[in-house]
Amino acid sequence: MATQVLVLVGTQKGAFCYRSDASRRDWCLTGPYLPGWEFYSLLGDSRNGHRLFAGTSHFVYGPSLRVSEDFGQTWTEIEDSPRYSAESGFALKRIWQIVPGHPSQPERLYAGVEEAGLFVSTDGGRSWQESDALTRHPTRPGWFPGNGGLCLHTILIDPGDPQRLWVGISAVGVFRTEDGGQTWRTCNKGLPPVPTGQPYPEIGRCVHKMALDPCDANTLYMQFHGGVFKSTDGADSWTAIETGLPGNFGFPMVVTASGHLYVIPLISDEQRFVKDGKLRVYESLNGGQSWQAVGTGLPEQAHFVGVLRDSMAVDSLEPAGLYFGTTMGEVYASADEGLHWQRLPGQLPRITTVKTWILED
Amino acid sequence: MLLEVTVPTLLENCTQGQTAFTIQGATLQEALDHLLETYPLLRRRLYEETGRLRPHVLLFFNDASIARLECLDLPIQPGDRLQIVQAVSGG
Repeated sequence: MATQVLVLVGTQKGAFCYRSDASRRDWCLTGPYLPGWEFYSLLGDSRNGHRLFAGTSHFVYGPSLRVSEDFGQTWTEIEDSPRYSAESGFALKRIWQIVPGHPSQPERLYAGVEEAGLFVSTDGGRSWQESDALTRHPTRPGWFPGNGGLCLHTILIDPGDPQRLWVGISAVGVFRTEDGGQTWRTCNKGLPPVPTGQPYPEIGRCVHKMALDPCDANTLYMQFHGGVFKSTDGADSWTAIETGLPGNFGFPMVVTASGHLYVIPLISDEQRFVKDGKLRVYESLNGGQSWQAVGTGLPEQAHFVGVLRDSMAVDSLEPAGLYFGTTMGEVYASADEGLHWQRLPGQLPRITTVKTWILED
Repeated sequence: MLLEVTVPTLLENCTQGQTAFTIQGATLQEALDHLLETYPLLRRRLYEETGRLRPHVLLFFNDASIARLECLDLPIQPGDRLQIVQAVSGG
């Protein structure tokens, strides 16, 4: 089989899948899959066969973790899925992120959840355990939910050290472990506090999304609640990188294998759509020193949409493909790192997550 | 005695694809316990971590919400029904 490119799209009413070949010109849409369920996370995992994981939720029936081994045609709900103990006092509301473990740990998966916490599977997703050192962190009583909920939405793993991870929690901040999750430290120096009314000065930082530089595991990038930041010391400290951006509010941030950065600025936290109705992707080709709008093919007419934190993705092909979904259910794709954009077919429900999956069988 | 059970289509994956079936039990409590033991995923969908029924889940024993019943130690009679219903949640 030649290379196939799948773009997995989670929405508030089911999941969808776009499929193309390596040219990424023509796309076929399938779905909805599980149309009554809200999808906040998706992962196409080809480490042990082809398994599609989904964090599904429903406002009545709560969160669930499901896996499909036939690209979404049928699903199995995982019985021993992430779940807080009754004694913890925490409630699991959504699964915001599912990521594969370090390449040296092919059976490992991580899940970031709301209320904020990290769960780990070491058996390919069949069973999950809470990394409870994080929820036992001394600052936990001061974790205060942002507008999206108290969600752990970003999990980054050091490619050179499987014990070293970062997580991002909305309205709380960044935490890092260097011992595989046994201990965690806050990593918020340089990030401005947001008002939470909580007496923990080291937290209260509203990280929206983070990305790890592909060449340097001490360099991280962040779209903050009001700011775009970079760290070159493993998140010990952060500095603003906003030159050329029309605004510093936004949600998604992605980085390609070549280190190019992409964000989609929104006008402000009060309005949360693109400035002047101009839907534009901004790129930085120099590690965040400067930004510029990139590409043709995005709407020229007034287009007052937003893009949520997990609704932008890159693929691993050369040149990298970029994809994002809007709050109005549109999916845009570029096969050339944002130089040319096309709207993919279909009008979907509100898009909550976009992921890519390359099949190389 | 057999209790007739109906579940919403959204939850049929929890009950082996069934939305209407019977469950054995001498009393409502016994049948409910049997239901949740037989279909453990159903417990996850209906109850919170604390064991409390999710706020928008209603369990009707015939025409009465079991949340309103003083006790679940009620003998099952022929034709008794247990319905799992989503509480009205529109605008």
